[in-house]
Amino acid sequence: MSVYAVNKVCRRLVHEPEMRDALASEETAEAALRAATPPLSDAEVAALLAGDVGTLSRAGCNHFLMSQIGRFGLFGLDLKEEAARVRAAHR
Amino acid sequence: MIVGGFGVPHTPHYPSIVAGGGPGAEEIVALYGEVRTRLEAAEPDVIVFLTSDHYNLFWETCIPIFSIAVAPSAWGASDYDTIPRRELMIASDLAVHVQRHLVRGGFDVGKSQELELDHTIVAPMHFLAPDVDIPIVPVFLSALIPPLPTAARCDAFGRALREALDDADADAGRVAIVTSGSFSLEIAGPRTADGNHVGVPDPAWMDRVLELLAAGDLDSLVAEATEEQLWAAGNAGGETLLWIAMLAAAGGGKPDFLEAQRAAGHGYGAWV
Repeated sequence: MSVYAVNKVCRRLVHEPEMRDALASEETAEAALRAATPPLSDAEVAALLAGDVGTLSRAGCNHFLMSQIGRFGLFGLDLKEEAARVRAAHR
Repeated sequence: MIVGGFGVPHTPHYPSIVAGGGPGAEEIVALYGEVRTRLEAAEPDVIVFLTSDHYNLFWETCIPIFSIAVAPSAWGASDYDTIPRRELMIASDLAVHVQRHLVRGGFDVGKSQELELDHTIVAPMHFLAPDVDIPIVPVFLSALIPPLPTAARCDAFGRALREALDDADADAGRVAIVTSGSFSLEIAGPRTADGNHVGVPDPAWMDRVLELLAAGDLDSLVAEATEEQLWAAGNAGGETLLWIAMLAAAGGGKPDFLEAQRAAGHGYGAWV
């Protein structure tokens, strides 16, 4: 898993509103993720779309950057639910 | 002439919490107010602001351990539109002098010639200097992304920063050293509190930092702030390094004001 690629997508959420909009829509989210550079693996795309931040956390992705997913309400997460999933993944 | 050192948190939600009268608003206003009162009494002509970029200015292209902004001004916050947006003037001549002095003194400090500031500067300035245009010198120290600089290196950096400001002396005017950061804070990681997206994973370390700050024992803080300890204090625990650099630059000593916000892992302090 490319930790950097996932981190970069999360960072883009802060500075690219169009990226947020694309990921907020079920119709465009997967295509936007697959257009990311460096490319995300199938497993990374699947984990992001599922809001599986526990898997991404265990892989070493940056928690501050991943928190942008919950901050912007993407992939079925808000900040509290995202944190709960990360905590659960490390129990 | 350095007129004091000041430390506060930079939680990006505090401005909107206070504006909306949300939970804890009175405490936030009171604690920032204690520091602001002392900062205003010091009558600074310029604020040297030590901070750690939060993955905004430095990311894909480069992550310097130390860097200084030399642009004439910068807008912010780049990362949170909940903080009233403003343009902060930068004392660019002083910034250029400081960077040159530090590089010649053995610190390989980068420089940013065009930038936006993130919440780590704009949120504290919202409370500390909301209505005045005191120019700043943004000094960036990498305190979040491993590997962290050692506490001893940050202490030495702060002392070298003080020498650079002393060397500028008359040109610099009255200089306040300000920093923002937490002592123990986990953001969105596995050590957050139940029902919350933040947590204070090492309150004992936070109390120890406060104890050493109150005693003016910067040497012991430097010795005990190992990288292992800082990460144990949370994924923002490295921000203690900013306080170390601030105190080294300001000359250390016992604080005139020091108060904790324990539930949030924060401290508020003034050395004048």
